Amino acid sequence: MGWKAISRSLAALIIAALVVLGAIAFIAYRQVQAPTETVTAPGKVRVAVLFDVGGRGDLSFNDMAALGAEKAKRDLGVEVEYNTPKSLAHMVPLLEELSRGGKYDLLILVGFLWVDALNKTADKFPKQKYALIDASTGVRRDNVAEFVFKEQEGAAVVGVLAAGMAREVQRELGESGPIKVGAVAGMSIPPLWRFHIGYLFGVKYFEKKTGERVEFYWTYTGKFDDPALGYSAAWTFLGQGVKVLYGLAGLTHVGMFNAVIDWNERGGGRALAIGQDASQEWFNPKYIPLSGSKRVDVAAYKAIEMVVKGAWRGGLVVLGYAEGGVGVWDLEGVKYFAQIAYETGQLKGLTPDDIVRIVKDARGKYVKSDVEAIAKELEGLIVTGKIVFKEPASEEEYLSIIRELEKGNLNAALAKGSIG
Amino acid sequence: MMLAMGESGLRKVYPVLESLAALIAGIIGGFIVSAVLGYDPFASISLILLSGFGNIEYLLSISVPLTLSALAFIVPLRAGLFNIGVEGQAYVGALAAVYVSSLTGFPLPIILAPLAGALIGFLIGVLRVYRGVNEVVSSIMLNWTLFYTVSFTISRYLRDPVIVHQSVRVDRMLSALEALLIALAITIAVHTILYRTTLGYYIRVMGSSPEALKYSGSSESRVTLTAMSLGGVLGGLAGALQVYTVSGFIDVTMSAVFGIGFMGIAAGLIGRATAVGALPASILISALIIGGHKLELVLGAPPELADVMIGVMMLALSAPYALRLLSSKVLG
Repeated sequence: MGWKAISRSLAALIIAALVVLGAIAFIAYRQVQAPTETVTAPGKVRVAVLFDVGGRGDLSFNDMAALGAEKAKRDLGVEVEYNTPKSLAHMVPLLEELSRGGKYDLLILVGFLWVDALNKTADKFPKQKYALIDASTGVRRDNVAEFVFKEQEGAAVVGVLAAGMAREVQRELGESGPIKVGAVAGMSIPPLWRFHIGYLFGVKYFEKKTGERVEFYWTYTGKFDDPALGYSAAWTFLGQGVKVLYGLAGLTHVGMFNAVIDWNERGGGRALAIGQDASQEWFNPKYIPLSGSKRVDVAAYKAIEMVVKGAWRGGLVVLGYAEGGVGVWDLEGVKYFAQIAYETGQLKGLTPDDIVRIVKDARGKYVKSDVEAIAKELEGLIVTGKIVFKEPASEEEYLSIIRELEKGNLNAALAKGSIG
Repeated sequence: MMLAMGESGLRKVYPVLESLAALIAGIIGGFIVSAVLGYDPFASISLILLSGFGNIEYLLSISVPLTLSALAFIVPLRAGLFNIGVEGQAYVGALAAVYVSSLTGFPLPIILAPLAGALIGFLIGVLRVYRGVNEVVSSIMLNWTLFYTVSFTISRYLRDPVIVHQSVRVDRMLSALEALLIALAITIAVHTILYRTTLGYYIRVMGSSPEALKYSGSSESRVTLTAMSLGGVLGGLAGALQVYTVSGFIDVTMSAVFGIGFMGIAAGLIGRATAVGALPASILISALIIGGHKLELVLGAPPELADVMIGVMMLALSAPYALRLLSSKVLG
């Protein structure tokens, strides 16, 4: 019975090996768990950043949240850990587990996908602090700070610059007639309403200051994740003579970028694109010289700061131009995102420094000093609070504001102050 | 105890031993991967293996839909059919559950969702039997068709008025224990069907020799349609349970249900295509996934490290049966 004996010893061997492996794993597990509890200095603030599904490397929200948290780590001396949920299905149990553990002073939740999980968890753990970024649950809780942005303010400044850039493109081509700017937007939801109002406001402000007529083109593609749709929408606008397109549709406006690039490189003519949220100049610095910013990093940093400085306050925190929450990306920001794109092999042979140089040249060429002065002036009005934008509560209110703006009634968009 | 068994007893535990050996290989593989990628291999392997068992309720609630998905893959597989369509069946099952729940309420959604899945399974079967379309090809195409159909239906007709990216919630959630009981009952039912009924007999005969099926008094088309429909029933139920025990809703990106069917294939192979193997295999995979979350949190590793390690381990675990399956297909 040789076979039997061999099988038996093999069986014994396998079992023994498993037991040994299990023991090693268990000891290692205990060791990994232990230091996290003892090493932490008392009083040191611990933060966990919970990304959106997808996590790092999106060159947008998640990378920005990490940027803000890393800054807090350096400046405020907090400990930061990161986690990426495998799917939406894991969000609730993950959030519950981290809340129950009580290990973190603050849990930062990036993006609107966390709303449901937060609603289900926040009341169960009243001592756990949460910061939700770029979304609101609609419920005020003392342990939840919700960071939202004043999209109108950033978009208004972008609108001035877009009109100015379109004018330069037109001059370069030797075309006359009204300046044409446009935007490819995602779905008709409140943040996009605010973008629309701000962008149109900026364009009309430019018109008022320079006396040059600007035609405004706006379309909702209805989707945030369809580049093909963005491409065709942009192509239509380019065919109608639009010279600058603002991308407000997430992945969809990557298609818009490609349309603009093709329009330039396949001999159709000349046009420029503007990105939004993160700095997107790296995608093609020659034709995307500008990006509007939505500073998720600032929100993450502010949330941590509130905890560190003992200034925690639940409820809505609105970040506008004055708070550095929205605006236009400076060259430092451009470089940061170019660096990430470089590290993930998306720069097609360029270095981050090349990107910065090309962007600088393009901005110098298309953003003239008179336009820059108008943008600065508007920025000043916004930052000092001399003008404050309305928050449209309903679609009707939003559309009526747009109608008034189109007639040139700039004050229709303002809750406070006026443009003389 | 095991060493005292006779030869037939040893033959019975042999598959278990083989799987355990595969587990060892997987652990070693995961160990090597994390070491090569520059992370403390002891820490990462222990975290990924053990921390998933820290929260049993979480573990079970994730495991149960996966078990159903594994069973949905297994039943047609025993007849020699590859049900890649579990994924799509889970989508329609989840959609049916959400829809019916918005009309009536528990338990009707759980009862009707499997019918929706069965319809898809039956359709794949019909295409194969009457039009000669390979079930793998039609399933893969149907999966994507259903992905977008369900996503569209959610965003158009079943949208939550407040949280616009997700569907309305189901009327209640099942606890981990309730879900476990359902999974156990279904496991017993599937096992009974496979080994104690004529249908199960025909399924197994067709799996080992389609020729022999003719002589045993059934026809290939009949068994194909039944096995695929049965797979669809289980796939639909997997989707419904995913909604009722895990997520509570479907979202427009389908992230709440996506991947459950594909993961079920792995669980089915790890469980060696047996009904009783599905639950332990699903628990193991779920534990790895939950444990994988911890890698990023504790070690600061990118989430991809966990993905690679889990991939290596699942590959090792499913290899013994998958290889056997391949060699029997190739060698006839």
